[in-house]
Amino acid sequence: MENKSPLSPHIQIYKWHISSLVSISHRITGIINIIGVTFICVLASLLSLGESNYEMTYLFLSSQIGKFLILGLTWSFSFQILSEIRHLIMDLGYGFELKTSKITGLIVICGSIVLTVTFYLIGKNFL
Amino acid sequence: MINATKKWIFLKISGALLVPLMIWFIINFIAIYDQDFNAVKIFFTSSVSKFLFSIFIINAYFFSALSISEVFEDYIKNDKIKNVANKLLFASGVVIPSITIILISTI
Repeated sequence: MENKSPLSPHIQIYKWHISSLVSISHRITGIINIIGVTFICVLASLLSLGESNYEMTYLFLSSQIGKFLILGLTWSFSFQILSEIRHLIMDLGYGFELKTSKITGLIVICGSIVLTVTFYLIGKNFL
Repeated sequence: MINATKKWIFLKISGALLVPLMIWFIINFIAIYDQDFNAVKIFFTSSVSKFLFSIFIINAYFFSALSISEVFEDYIKNDKIKNVANKLLFASGVVIPSITIILISTI
């Protein structure tokens, strides 16, 4: 049976706002994160198969490209964390005013960069 | 309670749970990702790490399956394609975490 429910119009027809940017980025980072988690599952599985199987992963992750990808994944996690908190606050009924929505959107965008640096510094220096 | 409401509640609970788990995981992962085999193995040998990592991947796949199915709902018109995509999504959400948890339990 053909589904009669309407589909979302293509995102290109909308004028871009901070809220829409945060919303689409939330979806994109969600997909990036699950690809990242899948990669980490493969990495964890390779550990159980012995040192020789892990060698290629180690070489890749300690390369400049590996470091860049991990930094990108950290930003994606940071964005998702802040955006999820924003969504949960909105689910409680707060932050729907246009001005508040813009401010919280900006906090998510700028905060994700600050959080990425913070996570990196904590991970590298305190653990 | 209708299915859409149940799905929304599960999405919110898993999303709220995912926040502290993501923070815990990413900080620890940054600490070990460029370390050698033994250092990474020590992390996954700890029973606390194994437990939290297992909860993290189960929750991450559950949350992703629910939220990606929303994307399918929004942008895929053909019901057959949508059903196949959803089934593949939910199957991968069960198979990948299960295999990973079984394998890390042997470390």
